[in-house]
Amino acid sequence: MRLPFRQQEAKDSLYSIEVKGLTKCFGEFTAVDHISFEVKKGEIFGFLGANGAGKTTAIRMLCSLLQPTSGEAMVAGYDLATQPKLIKRHIGYMSQKFSLYDDLTIFENMQLFGTIYGISRKELKDRIFSSLEMLNLEDKSKTLVSSIPLGWKQKLSFATAMLHRPDIVFLDEPTSGVDPIVRREFWNLIYEAASNGVTIFVTTHYMDEAEYCGRISIMANGQLKLIGTPTELKEQMQVDSIEKVFVKYVVR
Amino acid sequence: MRVILILIKKEFLQVFRNSLLWKILLLAPLAEFLLFPYTADYEIKNVHIAFVDHDRSSMTSGILSKFSASQYFINHGVVDSRKKAEAMMQADEIDFIIEFPTNFERSVVTMEPTKIGITANAINTVKAGLGSEYVQRVLADYLMDLSAAAESPLQPKVAQLVTTNVYWFNEQMNYKNLIVPGLLIILVTLIGAYVTALNIVREKELGTIEQVNVTPIKKWQFLLGKMIPFWILGMAEFCAGLVIMKLMFGISIQGSLLLLLGITAIYLLVMLGLGFFISSMAGNQLQAMFIVFFLFILFVMLSGVFTPIEGMPEWAKYINYANPMSFFMTAVKTVILKGSTVESIRTQFIVLSVMAVVLNTAALLSYRDKVQ
Repeated sequence: MRLPFRQQEAKDSLYSIEVKGLTKCFGEFTAVDHISFEVKKGEIFGFLGANGAGKTTAIRMLCSLLQPTSGEAMVAGYDLATQPKLIKRHIGYMSQKFSLYDDLTIFENMQLFGTIYGISRKELKDRIFSSLEMLNLEDKSKTLVSSIPLGWKQKLSFATAMLHRPDIVFLDEPTSGVDPIVRREFWNLIYEAASNGVTIFVTTHYMDEAEYCGRISIMANGQLKLIGTPTELKEQMQVDSIEKVFVKYVVR
Repeated sequence: MRVILILIKKEFLQVFRNSLLWKILLLAPLAEFLLFPYTADYEIKNVHIAFVDHDRSSMTSGILSKFSASQYFINHGVVDSRKKAEAMMQADEIDFIIEFPTNFERSVVTMEPTKIGITANAINTVKAGLGSEYVQRVLADYLMDLSAAAESPLQPKVAQLVTTNVYWFNEQMNYKNLIVPGLLIILVTLIGAYVTALNIVREKELGTIEQVNVTPIKKWQFLLGKMIPFWILGMAEFCAGLVIMKLMFGISIQGSLLLLLGITAIYLLVMLGLGFFISSMAGNQLQAMFIVFFLFILFVMLSGVFTPIEGMPEWAKYINYANPMSFFMTAVKTVILKGSTVESIRTQFIVLSVMAVVLNTAALLSYRDKVQ
């Protein structure tokens, strides 16, 4: 029998995510192999790894979109095994693939998701317009999502994932395929959110972005190989950049 | 409630912005109604016939002209020999050979037994069957005329030959009366099962369903948010079909409109549940399409939409107990053509309601907001 672990302390715990031995097997293949780690509240936590290392699988399990094979996790103070709906209420998720509705406008998409989260009509309208203002998209609210560039789409996904003011937001490669200017804007959004106390869980392939994170972890072959602040990892591996840490680790 | 409403709004926005889907929903019924009733008609016209006349009497030429006068036949006239006539049939030029024996006229007058040979080209079984019925009618007609004119003792005997067929509820034997309600049923089925299944599976493919699943939405909210819009569309399509049926074919509903809409509402729930259930089994649109298509063909062939159930073997009738389309077809036909009341389609109501509950429960249980 699975007991909700440390449920009592979790409410006022230092951590917003605690993972213990989380594992996912697809048949013979182990995509995520007993990973354990903690993410502090309000931290920007970078999740690095080569393609196919198991990052997306891990994120999808933490968002209760994928059933873990074994292991347990507390997300936003709730037990993944027994309280998935409560977790979902307190997290935001931006998937690797753009997945808002192409045939709805920017406003309609935000209205749809905001309403599902139970935000009141008036409050929702205020939140939508203030976040569109922040993204400089206020005059585009009636534009169909299919006709906006990828950079805007990514910012829109982020804003939509943040509408219900989640405690944690999971970002799965949010900046892949966008230009450097949008990437910088995007990271400004991330910092802004983190400064408001939101925990950011982000995966990326860009090593310069890894340097922006409070702490990073490196995954390879489904296992968590390294975890620490960028400075700690560089010192530990005796190199001068995260890219070298990554290459050294993945090559080993 | 607000969640359901916003989901309905979203679905309608998507349907109306999807110009292709919208056009298909609009044009499909029109096209079906314009083409189908005229092509899928069991009435046979232009039956090609030729005669082999060993008698060459006034009676045989009288019969010949009777056939020429009929609008159903194209008379190829008298052929020299049986062999030649058979060659014509081989070449597919004629459908029937009518052969008069020698001394035919004399036998008829003296009331000796005699036979007219009718040979039918049975490649097209419907044409052969109905055609030979027509041939016999024309022959009987002729003999009737003959005996009436002669006031001869022939009369009673000939009169026995003549059978009168009256087709109940479809007096003119008008197949449009059967085909058109059948088309209505097909439309409702397609919207219910096809459009719903494909819609949900498409969201799986695009990944948009995951963005919805990561919210605290409840399964039943998601289910209703999908079903209500397509239920409304299906009902609208059915009503449009009824209007076309009335305007184009002059078929009016003999029974209660409310009753008809009631049974359709329930049938749509069955089909929506089925579509939803299929969507949770299928991984992509192609799989969903194959599953729905297979079931659809099975339903149609067994339902009695195009072929009479009475002619099917016993085992097929048993399969039909699990065929929602068959129950719906019976109900729709009897309400539209016969004017049945609630009592007479009670069975259909009960069976379809049970099916709706079972399929929608299965849909709700099989829907996973989490990949296993």
